[in-house]
Amino acid sequence: MPKLLIVDDETDVREFAASFFRKRKIDVITASSGEEALGIVKQQKSDLVLLDIRMTGIDGIETLKRIKELDKNAKVIMITGRKPEEEASFDRCRELGAIDYIHKPLELDELEKMVLKELLNN
Amino acid sequence: MAIDYKKELEGAAKSMILVHEPHALIKIIVRMIVHKVKVDHAGILLHDKDRDTYVLTVSRGTAGLKIPAGFARMDADNPLIRFFRQHLDQKFFHDGAVIYEKTRKLLSGDIGSDAKELLKGAMYQMEMFGASVCIPSYFKEDLLGILLLGRKNNDKKFGQKEIDFFIALASDVTMAIRNAQLFKELELELREKQNLFIQTSIALAAAIDAKDHYTHGHTARVTSLSLEIAKKLSANNKNMFDDKFFEHLHIAALLHDIGKIGTPESILNKGGSLNDEEKKKMQEHPVLGTAILQPIKELEEAILGVKYHHERYDGSGYPEGLKGSQIPLIASIISAADSFDAMTTDRPYRRRLSREEAIKEITQASGKQFDPQVVSALLELFQENKI
Repeated sequence: MPKLLIVDDETDVREFAASFFRKRKIDVITASSGEEALGIVKQQKSDLVLLDIRMTGIDGIETLKRIKELDKNAKVIMITGRKPEEEASFDRCRELGAIDYIHKPLELDELEKMVLKELLNN
Repeated sequence: MAIDYKKELEGAAKSMILVHEPHALIKIIVRMIVHKVKVDHAGILLHDKDRDTYVLTVSRGTAGLKIPAGFARMDADNPLIRFFRQHLDQKFFHDGAVIYEKTRKLLSGDIGSDAKELLKGAMYQMEMFGASVCIPSYFKEDLLGILLLGRKNNDKKFGQKEIDFFIALASDVTMAIRNAQLFKELELELREKQNLFIQTSIALAAAIDAKDHYTHGHTARVTSLSLEIAKKLSANNKNMFDDKFFEHLHIAALLHDIGKIGTPESILNKGGSLNDEEKKKMQEHPVLGTAILQPIKELEEAILGVKYHHERYDGSGYPEGLKGSQIPLIASIISAADSFDAMTTDRPYRRRLSREEAIKEITQASGKQFDPQVVSALLELFQENKI
């Protein structure tokens, strides 16, 4: 079963996204912070990471950077807000190797397509 | 089933609608559905006009099922949105409530391939959102929002009574949103009118400044200093002024010299000191200004500032020789700001003073020419480097 790591500091988002993808036969692991996510990445390989850009503690950009240091082949999709500063930071995420991004509020079918495309291409 | 919904909510909802807070009402409604009707989750998509998209704004229910507020949206091309916008709900479901189970039955019927395609898409959206019932909120032709309901905790179907109840709730949502929109539009219109009025006053003030060569920019500076003084006074005295006072002061400061329209330019721009006759003419400007503005009833308060901005605290000013607290505060504020600006700009009869010198002079005249509380506010502003 393909494995997806969801990193978001909002419980509701984590819970919903996790159950959404579990229903789609995906093995989901969740992390509530960048720190926790890095711990998971060190221990096991995920096929894809969904990473929220705005988090307390180390933010999504820093987390992305460190994930890529641990595993340069890691595939990461960023979840960003609509605020201009978050939109602007996506360029930085691209440089750091994120493969794509999606804006909140997002369309569920777009999220589904984006994630399944990456996972089923494995 | 919350049979007492109307009773329980009527009071709260009415006041909520009155205070133009649709979100508060919608939250109550969604919470009520989840708790009283025992639904695993419920949420509402609300139309964002600017982006023409529907955002899941309020949601409640079991973790994992409820969609976090602000997380998901449906764009105008989303099949469920198209389904409602094309009013297919009313065509296929007489009461407008789209029930997943019934929808599936429809698919096996003869409804035409386009409608079938759209319905399939709409059903898939319902699946993704975990919705077993969708109820639209329309105002006239516009889709304002969609109420999404999960499954009942006991897994039974919703009864018609429950569906009717949801429809009633959805129409309350519509009303609350409409009221809030109307209120916003009204506020906007009011603000536009106020702006127009301020801009008109600024234009009038510019006309005075243009006539009086020595006071270039004077009005703008007096206005901003007057407002600063009032802010300071208000901050020091438990918000002694309300917004209205600031509005009146703003207008009064802009128009304080409007009466100079009637003062001959030869006097306004005279190089030397004025003779008695000229002085008398010059001193007519507050009363002239008052006469000009009098017909505008809404300016009653502001006119006090125009009329009395040359009164002195000890009673030796004009036009009426008012004393101490007889002088309206709005005029005392303008008077101090007016003098400070006159002292710190070059005039035909003397060179300007430094700000330190001007503050010193004004402080010395506290209780004589100027209202002491206004002087102390001005002094504070100076000490804080704000002027």
